[in-house]
Amino acid sequence: MVRVRRFARGASGRSGPRWVSGLALVGVVLGALVMLVPFAWMLATSLKPGQALLALPPQLIPQEPTLEPYRRVVSAFPMVRVFGNSLLVAVATTAGQLVLASMSGYAFARFRFPGRDVLFAVYLATLMVPFAVTITPLFIIVRQLDWIDSYWGLVVPPMFSAFGTFLMRQFFQSVPRELEEAATLDGASALGTFVRVILPISGPAFATLGVFAFMASWNAFLWPLLVVRDRDFMTLPLALATLQGLYPGQTEWNLVMAGTVISVVPMIVVFLFAQRWVIEGVTTSGLKG
Amino acid sequence: MYERGARRWLTLALFLGPSLIGLALFLVGPIVASLALAFTSWDLLTPPRWVGARNFVRLADDPEFWTALRHTLQFLAGYLPLVMTTGLLVAVALNGRIVGRAFFRAVYFLPVVASWVAVALVWKWLLNPAFGLVNFLLAQVGVAGPAWLFDPTWAMFSVVLTSVWKDTGFVMVVLLAGLQGIPREYYEASAIDGAGPAQQLRFVTVPLLMPALFFALSISLINSFQVFDQVYVMTGGGPAGATTVLVERIVRQAFSFSRMGYAAAMSWVLFVLIFVVTIAFSRAQKRFA
Amino acid sequence: MKLVRTFLALALVAGLAFAQTVDYFSFTTDQAHVDELEALIEVFEAQNPGITIEYTTAPFGDYFTRLQTDFAAGSPPDVFELNFENLATFASRGVLAPLDDLLGTDGRDVFYPAALDAFAYDGTQYALPITFSTVVLFYNQDLFDAAGVAYPTDAWTWDDVMAAAEAINDPANRVWGIYQPVQFWEFYKVAQAAGGGLQVAPTIAIDTPENLAALEYLVGKIEAGVMPTDAELSGVANEDLFANGQLGMLVSGIWMFDRFAQSSFDWDIAVEPGGARQATHFFSNAAAIAASSPEREAAWKWVEFLAASPEVAAARIESAWELPALSLDNADALAPYLARPQPANREAVFASLAFAVNPPVVDRQPELQDIVNQELEAARLGSKTPAQALADAQRRVEALLAD
Repeated sequence: MVRVRRFARGASGRSGPRWVSGLALVGVVLGALVMLVPFAWMLATSLKPGQALLALPPQLIPQEPTLEPYRRVVSAFPMVRVFGNSLLVAVATTAGQLVLASMSGYAFARFRFPGRDVLFAVYLATLMVPFAVTITPLFIIVRQLDWIDSYWGLVVPPMFSAFGTFLMRQFFQSVPRELEEAATLDGASALGTFVRVILPISGPAFATLGVFAFMASWNAFLWPLLVVRDRDFMTLPLALATLQGLYPGQTEWNLVMAGTVISVVPMIVVFLFAQRWVIEGVTTSGLKG
Repeated sequence: MYERGARRWLTLALFLGPSLIGLALFLVGPIVASLALAFTSWDLLTPPRWVGARNFVRLADDPEFWTALRHTLQFLAGYLPLVMTTGLLVAVALNGRIVGRAFFRAVYFLPVVASWVAVALVWKWLLNPAFGLVNFLLAQVGVAGPAWLFDPTWAMFSVVLTSVWKDTGFVMVVLLAGLQGIPREYYEASAIDGAGPAQQLRFVTVPLLMPALFFALSISLINSFQVFDQVYVMTGGGPAGATTVLVERIVRQAFSFSRMGYAAAMSWVLFVLIFVVTIAFSRAQKRFA
Repeated sequence: MKLVRTFLALALVAGLAFAQTVDYFSFTTDQAHVDELEALIEVFEAQNPGITIEYTTAPFGDYFTRLQTDFAAGSPPDVFELNFENLATFASRGVLAPLDDLLGTDGRDVFYPAALDAFAYDGTQYALPITFSTVVLFYNQDLFDAAGVAYPTDAWTWDDVMAAAEAINDPANRVWGIYQPVQFWEFYKVAQAAGGGLQVAPTIAIDTPENLAALEYLVGKIEAGVMPTDAELSGVANEDLFANGQLGMLVSGIWMFDRFAQSSFDWDIAVEPGGARQATHFFSNAAAIAASSPEREAAWKWVEFLAASPEVAAARIESAWELPALSLDNADALAPYLARPQPANREAVFASLAFAVNPPVVDRQPELQDIVNQELEAARLGSKTPAQALADAQRRVEALLAD
């Protein structure tokens, strides 16, 4: 089991000679440039008119900035709808995962029933199986349910992640039993206790799992690629990949980059507001999309 | 826990049921189905035919499979050392007292929150041989840049480079979490003993960071066996098949060639590979950390 | 009151019984042609009250797997697009509705015979051709004039192409003599023009001297520097390069007419020159009906409309993308096409049909194309010699078709 410690709290730094920290600062700044320049290049390209794309030398700051690529990408592609799809799918998947994971996690943490440990081992075992193994049968099941080109197909299968159950179980196990026992003495049912006593103190665990689930869903590519063929149900990553080939025989990097900006900016905003939870979610899960 | 008899089972069903049904339908079911499929030949138009172990026999002398495996290992061999090194350097640098530490941590983490499709597209454009920024900058220092994604010898390296850029931030936060757990006194004590920064890194930081290093490494390892999104968007397996990787081949066999049984067999081989490596890894971890 | 309600309910049931929905699945995904399809659906629905067409599309790359999963799930679309090399896969498994009775003998005369025959399997008609197109040699007249080279004629051969390309070539200014793609779709044709062919039955003959000559001709243009490399193109499409006036010649399809018409220079087309003999493309897409479709009658009306109705023919000629696959005797339908100003030599589109060749067809078509494309790409990029690439293609196709 992985213990995650909060970062960004308390400096445990050690300071060596001055030249070392000077060198480190130079390295950090250079590295940060390498991290930021691609984003700048993306933004710059998205503001360029078509003829400036192939200009040499390349313009890192567009000489004649224009919003035309955005206008075109929104008119050529139902971008607003696609954006809404991504949002809807990510929110629904996250909400579903939170409900399912917290309830099942609670059951594994607090209920005693025959076969519990075996069942939990099965949950854990599914975490080891690569998505490539399940993808074909999963696709056929979803096809049988007639969920191709529907929100159901995009939302429901990714909701069931054993990882969430695992995470929530760990959290509930760290909650002192006394809290629930007091409620039980007052005659509350298990569900009542769960809703009134446990949920209110589960904020941090929810935030961690929620942010992770949201990011994974927002950025997911392979699954939407398979279950969506209708533009009306495309999510952003899928729309982006499609934008690349939208104009056969034409190369419109400014449109592609405009679409990329539209997809990346919301995630960056979420990240800046919820940095701590994002980092914890990602660190704990160790999974990317 | 609280109630008895039928009521208790009802409560359990309420908490665990939905998750259990979903897991059975969308994870365990497909895993079992995929195992069965691996022993059939199925083109989707006619019913599956049982072929015994033929798919696995065929895999053994399928050059495409071995090439894809070799490419996957090449990716891994380039990506793992690079991403661990950059991640460790950045983590150590950003653990000390440094101006704008929170800002830099956020900057290095930005690529992690962007979707793979977006990152792959931006880098595809950055690495464009004639009009991209990278070759332009190289030309400024007198280097004639390669054709990157258009050159079979450079294509995989381009994918590695992009992946290292995206995942450095992830390794960084995992290691920062580990670094934060190293008590400050250790550094103070070693400083009194006359240890410089290099010795401190060697004798204090790295040994105490082992669990975090192992965690970051094993997650990166498992993820790099399943490398797909960046390859799909950046090269589609090309040029001339120079970047075909295992998951890309599985998806192609299943969803371009309609060879469901063969794809399932290949995915199980991948699973066994990941499984064996993970087990070997946790054995090693017990010995060293 | 009760009577009225019963009557209303009955009317509703009757209405439902008459309302027929035909699902149509197409691999035409770009916006302009989706718009055209929607307009055509409106016309059809107005002519056939009670029939509703519901279409979906998928990019060509994953169209056929999607189609096959639909069949696997037991709910295929009623009508779907097919092309020549994929017909056999579906027809041989008995999932297509035979169309002979519906078509009748008179019905056959409407079509261009080769197009119709291409969609028969074992003597049964399984699909109707809805479009056809060919590939021709496009040339930039301004660049030819500037280099002092005479325009291509029907008598041209590969040697003339190379000579003209070298005269026009000016890579320092990003102008090249010619672009001809090096991939499966070019190669099976060029191989036949060299006197060989991509033969897969009864024996596999890919690594032959004639095919080697063909591949050396294709790759030789890059080696001679008269055709841009992938790195020089850097992702700019060859059609863009021609439209920008940066290519003397381009081997491409007639579907580019409209786009090139917006160019600022003069251009025209010629029948594609050959090597040992002449060979040209004949591309045709068709519409087929699923054998299990419960709406066969309505489906047939839609297929017939797509393939042979004057409205569709007029729309295709208007959009200048692909042509309706109608008999050339049908002068009325084709006249507006020939009357358009650019390119002047539109007769070359039809003259090309005299040399039309077909691609090889195997049961595992996508894999065959994948292998051939990988090897051709290796030769194009110079990581394999043409001889190595053909030897590897031969070996890999043998392995593919052996199991």
